[in-house]
Amino acid sequence: MTYPILILALVCAVIIIAEHRVYRMIIYFGIFSLIVSVGYLLLGAPDVAMAEAVTSAFSTIFFIVCVERYYNSERNTESVNKKTKWFGWAISLLLTAAGFVVYLLFIPQAEPAEFLKDLYLTRFMTDVGGENSITAIYLAYRVYDTLFEALILVISVVAVVHLSYFVGSTPDKGRRSEIERSGMTAFTMRLICPVIFIFAIYLIANGHISAGGGFQGGLAVATFFICRYLIHGIYDLPVKVIVRLEEVIFIAIVAVAIFVVVLGISAYIPDSILPVYRVIYLIMMNILIGLKVACGFFVLFYRFITIERR
Amino acid sequence: MDISMFSIILFFISFFGVLFSNNIIKTIISVLIMQTATVLFWLTLNVTGTTPEAPIIYDPALLDDIQIIADPVPQSATITAIIIGFAVSAIVITMFNSMCRQYGTADWETMERLATGGVD
Amino acid sequence: MLPFFVIGPVLVAVILFITSGNRIMQALSVVFQAGLLAASVWLLIQTRETVVYFNIGDYDSLLGIVLRANSLSAVFVFLTAFIFLAIFIFTYKDKREQYMFRFLLFILEAALIGLFLTGDFFNIFVLVEVSTLVIVILTMYDRERRNVFYGKIFLLLNIVAIQFFLLGLGYLYRLTGVLNLAAATEILATTDKSDLVLPYTLIMTAVAFKCSLIPFFSWLPKVRLYPGAPSGVAAILSGLQIKSAIYIYICFSDLFSPVAAPELFVVLGIIMGLFGAVMAFCQTDIKLLLAYSTISQVGLIMIGLNSGCEYSRIGGLYHIVNHAVFKTTLFLCASVIIRVYGTADITRIRGVFKRMPVVSVAAFLAVLGIIGAPFFNGSISKYFITYDIPQWLYAVVIVLSLCTIVYYYKFSVMFTGKADNSDIEIEKCWVAPIAFLGVTRLAGGIFGPQIIEFFFRYPVSINAFGYFQKTMIFFASVAAGFWIFKYADKIRWLESLGSLRAGFKTLCGSLLVFFIVMTLYVGL
Repeated sequence: MTYPILILALVCAVIIIAEHRVYRMIIYFGIFSLIVSVGYLLLGAPDVAMAEAVTSAFSTIFFIVCVERYYNSERNTESVNKKTKWFGWAISLLLTAAGFVVYLLFIPQAEPAEFLKDLYLTRFMTDVGGENSITAIYLAYRVYDTLFEALILVISVVAVVHLSYFVGSTPDKGRRSEIERSGMTAFTMRLICPVIFIFAIYLIANGHISAGGGFQGGLAVATFFICRYLIHGIYDLPVKVIVRLEEVIFIAIVAVAIFVVVLGISAYIPDSILPVYRVIYLIMMNILIGLKVACGFFVLFYRFITIERR
Repeated sequence: MDISMFSIILFFISFFGVLFSNNIIKTIISVLIMQTATVLFWLTLNVTGTTPEAPIIYDPALLDDIQIIADPVPQSATITAIIIGFAVSAIVITMFNSMCRQYGTADWETMERLATGGVD
Repeated sequence: MLPFFVIGPVLVAVILFITSGNRIMQALSVVFQAGLLAASVWLLIQTRETVVYFNIGDYDSLLGIVLRANSLSAVFVFLTAFIFLAIFIFTYKDKREQYMFRFLLFILEAALIGLFLTGDFFNIFVLVEVSTLVIVILTMYDRERRNVFYGKIFLLLNIVAIQFFLLGLGYLYRLTGVLNLAAATEILATTDKSDLVLPYTLIMTAVAFKCSLIPFFSWLPKVRLYPGAPSGVAAILSGLQIKSAIYIYICFSDLFSPVAAPELFVVLGIIMGLFGAVMAFCQTDIKLLLAYSTISQVGLIMIGLNSGCEYSRIGGLYHIVNHAVFKTTLFLCASVIIRVYGTADITRIRGVFKRMPVVSVAAFLAVLGIIGAPFFNGSISKYFITYDIPQWLYAVVIVLSLCTIVYYYKFSVMFTGKADNSDIEIEKCWVAPIAFLGVTRLAGGIFGPQIIEFFFRYPVSINAFGYFQKTMIFFASVAAGFWIFKYADKIRWLESLGSLRAGFKTLCGSLLVFFIVMTLYVGL
């Protein structure tokens, strides 16, 4: 089953490259990432599949918002310059093919070393607790990476808020959304909304024993707010306060991580409550990361929707 | 065929898209596909033959047959890579958005001419 | 103790942001930075004897992430803390939305220090991404349209380059089964050589892009980011960010020592050195001139690091430190000059010395350092770079220094002439770090061998006769440089060469071509 799905993904990628109508390109991209995330699922990576599906859905939304607002409809096909087209086409094909051939020539043949995999799988239950080894690696063994990853999201949110204001223009507050909302969409969303919210809570609270976790759950919470937007239209939000809130939660994440992992408090905890303590740590981190990601993504989405017009 | 071959083919397809496209949106989408290709590559790194099970272990007895469990290291690494990739591409899209708003075009050459004013 | 160096600045940054740049918090952040500098001196002393390790979490060192500080990374950490302190003082009175600017600067500092301290190769990827993203946002801080455009190209190119890096890391993980640098080095020593070619070239393609070493095209958008970048950021961009890429280069060429191809990087260094020098001479914008000068100096550093001779390598390492300091001085001077004169055009700025004597003296000391005048630090590092390299390479380095002298003539012309009046006050907080940095040039020259011994744990001594010989060569090239400058300044077509540009597709293509050429060379 994995092979057909991956072949389908390849075909979809070729279609995207060959397409020159912008809207279709974007929609095909959404389909492509859906197919790929099914592929991830089949490869035994449900957590990655969830992350991929949701982030690419967000990128697709951003693209659509961007194109719909500012892109001239007469020019929404790629400009075709007959003279340079064939030349450029041939050169790029030649280069890519050469790169591919060279890559294949030197591909390493050695058997994969599965040293770390065995070590993690045999030890994570006693070291960290929980049943999801990915959460264990993500939140305990390699929490240092996770901190930077949370940080990069903070930077991204701050930068998007900063860059989307242009010098000499003022943001328009409280303007109703320009995107037309049909009654049917609103109705469907109203039905889906609670389900998404419950699913998000499940993902966050159950992250340590099943697939999912703070990041995926946080994205689902953000999706819940976006559904609310689709139902009720735009409402004024104190963006700055939410950004501050995100940073406070970030500090909380860093603090928890430092106290529990870096300083190694678990050495002072009596053995009898150690498993409970570890699970509490995982759940707490998942909740904090979930809240932070939800705040961040909602601000991103909100900025994209309310960005001032030409 | 080794299953990680798919990701390499995908990588070079998207590289062709990057080299070939005149439209900025297409370039950005190609770059996003390239990121996906890398993630797919990491996930298929240690996969040999059979389809692996997710590394979520309800039953410690499963640990006796460790071969059928997928490697958790690439998975946690790729979650990080996906989030970082998203954060970077959100900024790229924002920048594109603001430039597109100013100039009303998504063509590389036109935008370069307008943005740099033809002079330094 | 080690995580403090990384997590400390992050926490300070976020707290600064939350308190919206409260006055007291800003002052405290500078105090914190001074404390960090003191801590880095402590680290320098600690790493003199042993390598300092820190496991994050009480897990096995292979399972968790390890921070490690050897003598080289301690020097880099010290350098980072030092330059950031200068920049924080320099930008202390800036009126813009300060807190966000500082928030980003502190995070950049954390990411750079983290890069120097990490002992885990996936962590390198994460930190490289953080530092690149922050530096691009900082250069676009004023939202100037040209910078937004070039920033976008640069960021997209970075994503493409980092995918090569990730593919390489993937193979590295597959071959070794660990993510730890030290453990990977041991395992790779026994691995089949033919298996190492592809990971090596994939990683080196990305690293060469980060060091702006890919010939002719790939560094253009990066260089174009300089003119619109806020003061201070340009200094970090060329003073430290490129150095972090060179540090990663050193790391990975040690890791892949069985297949490494240093001779290729010597050739690249020569090409980039000459090309950067010619391009620097063609510029009329001060910041662009200095930016291309960085490209040229990185070429010189690469020659030193890769020539395979012991002294030359030490000289290259010392030149990294020197270059970071004098390029920071020059960029800070340039931004003061640009603020006072309201223009960056080198042909229209005259009489800087009359108006700003202290700044001019500092800038002049930095120029003397960079061209390698006797008793300045540049001369020491160039002396060691040329100490034991082959004759032909020696000739190339002399030509490179000659080119450097020629374009710094162009830079120095603006100090001469009469000054007209202007009512812009020169803040004390601008002058103090510049003056201090300027003086360190002289100290770095006079105590050169001692500093090298302290930093790199390698006893060196200067041969008086050899040094005298090199001083003679220096004076000869100053005279020759003046003559060439007089002649070349009149050539008109050089200016059109200076505005050479390449589009995004060409740049991506050159990345791929570089990968193909390098793989074929290393593999066959």
